[in-house]
Amino acid sequence: MTKTYNEINQKIKSGEVVVVTAEEMIKIVEEDGIKVAAEDIDVVTTGTFGPMCSSGAFLNFGHSDPPIKFEHLWLNDVKAYHGNAAVDCYIGCTRMSDVRRFEYGGGHVIEDLVSGKSIRLRGNSYTTDCYPLAEIDTEFTLDEINQAILLNPRNAYQRYVCAVNSSDRSLYTYMGKLLPHYGNAHYAGAGCLSPLSNDPDYETIGIGTKIFLGGGSGYIIGEGTQHSPTNQFGTLFVKGDLKQMNSEYLRGVSFEKYGTSLFVGLGIPIPILNEGLAKKTAISDSELLTDIVDYGIPRRDRPKLRQITYEELRNEYIELNGKKVKCSSMSSQYYARKIAETLKKWIQEGKFFLNQPAETLPTDTIFKPMKQILEIKFVKDLKRKAIICYDDCELKTIAKRIINHNMNHIVITDRENTLKGIVTSFDITKAIAEEKTDIKEIITKKVITTSDNDPIDVAARRMKQNYISALPVIDENKKVVGIITSEELI
Amino acid sequence: MTVMNITLPFGVIKDISDYSRFINEILKFDITLNILKFSTGTSGINLLIDIPDDKIKSITESLKKNNIIVNKKGRIIIDTEKCIDCGACISLCPTDALNFDSEKRLKFYYERCIGCLLCLDSCPRYAIEEM
Repeated sequence: MTKTYNEINQKIKSGEVVVVTAEEMIKIVEEDGIKVAAEDIDVVTTGTFGPMCSSGAFLNFGHSDPPIKFEHLWLNDVKAYHGNAAVDCYIGCTRMSDVRRFEYGGGHVIEDLVSGKSIRLRGNSYTTDCYPLAEIDTEFTLDEINQAILLNPRNAYQRYVCAVNSSDRSLYTYMGKLLPHYGNAHYAGAGCLSPLSNDPDYETIGIGTKIFLGGGSGYIIGEGTQHSPTNQFGTLFVKGDLKQMNSEYLRGVSFEKYGTSLFVGLGIPIPILNEGLAKKTAISDSELLTDIVDYGIPRRDRPKLRQITYEELRNEYIELNGKKVKCSSMSSQYYARKIAETLKKWIQEGKFFLNQPAETLPTDTIFKPMKQILEIKFVKDLKRKAIICYDDCELKTIAKRIINHNMNHIVITDRENTLKGIVTSFDITKAIAEEKTDIKEIITKKVITTSDNDPIDVAARRMKQNYISALPVIDENKKVVGIITSEELI
Repeated sequence: MTVMNITLPFGVIKDISDYSRFINEILKFDITLNILKFSTGTSGINLLIDIPDDKIKSITESLKKNNIIVNKKGRIIIDTEKCIDCGACISLCPTDALNFDSEKRLKFYYERCIGCLLCLDSCPRYAIEEM
């Protein structure tokens, strides 16, 4: 059994088309079998609604009088990229406002624009003979500009990882707030509704495929950046006209201490051209796997703890190292379903037709890491010998060590070299001023530490975040193996 | 003492005299009324009040009679217009006060909320407000 795009479009025109969502397809194939489902069902709709940081929009404002050639410009105080002709710009969703910073960014500008709000445009120029205006401060709405094109270089991740945090402090990431000691887990992706999981071999998804984008229609214009279909991390490059979109499906977001982004609603109709596609679109959450990844390790290649299915992820709690860990999504299942349902309705009502891709997308690319010319430095490369005192010593001993070694930080250990605390020259001064004589009264027991394999930048950030100038270096058994201070980092 | 989270809906409280009338309703119970927090939210005026445990029942009944919404333990408010049902807050809630309903829309169960506020900075839409 095979069908053509033309046959399906004829059915859409005549109103006979049978459309179901990817969730509904699972049951249909289960009950009727692949063969019958392939004959009965013409189109399966998919949907996803999650934070997609590689999103933004090209805008063209028309010319001012006298004309200006922007050198820098801001939309509601969010800097837009200008490297094109005089009055074109690209507003990226992760660029944060110069004024409101984390609270408001490019994603919010796009949402405000689509919801009809007025946007403040400020810009300046070095001026030329043909563009003499030096500054502009004006306002515009979506209707008042020429083009507003959503152009997202990387959307619709086929799947995404599940993030957890092994470290001893809360992490604020693009995967949300991750509690210490595996306190919670966050995942993303629409599972069985994910567009690319329903056509993993890119039979129907290619350049020119018409899609649901931001509440309007858009097109796939190529593979997304970092497209990595060989390990089920395919992505899409998409575009669409902002003027016919709906702000319900384009939402600016702010992730605490991370930055801004944009939730993008995206759905793809999969034509059931053959039995193979009927089978693929019936994929369920229990067949879709992803990795649980430890974001507590601040490296590119974070440790993968285990594989997990989307079915388990949907369960509210996941099992990790024999413990129940509360788990929730970063992308909305409610909206993913709503998108698949909306797209289904559009097709049923004859408002949306399918088109054959002009070109298929690559299925063999991989995602390469950045080439770095300079070797990265680790704590073990720059650490020095820690000056140590035992936890039952006299303050005088510590003071002597400070003088003899010209070192502000004395690491306190037990006889087995296990870290017990830290005492600084300031602590000793304070002890004298307050007439304290016992080490127990001045020792800092909760010590922020680092380890040999932490990159120097991670150690530096830890010092900066905690307003301190030294970190004892410890091994996995809490034994002191050195110290790194702000002096080594300069 | 118990912290009570109440909302004076717009329409019920129109001016200062309505507000005084409502405060007097509570003061009838001859208690020291601590107003811990006063804020305006999307549905009305939100108050966090501290009341003696033995008066919870009678005060609750009196407030409800006056169309005041009593959210017994909840210390947060979800702005449903801002919420996009992503679920980023759910994993942070130790008492399942934040969870999805059967339609996968975010639901807040006031009675389960212990006011730990762990969820507060997890919302990418600033849809969780502290009372």
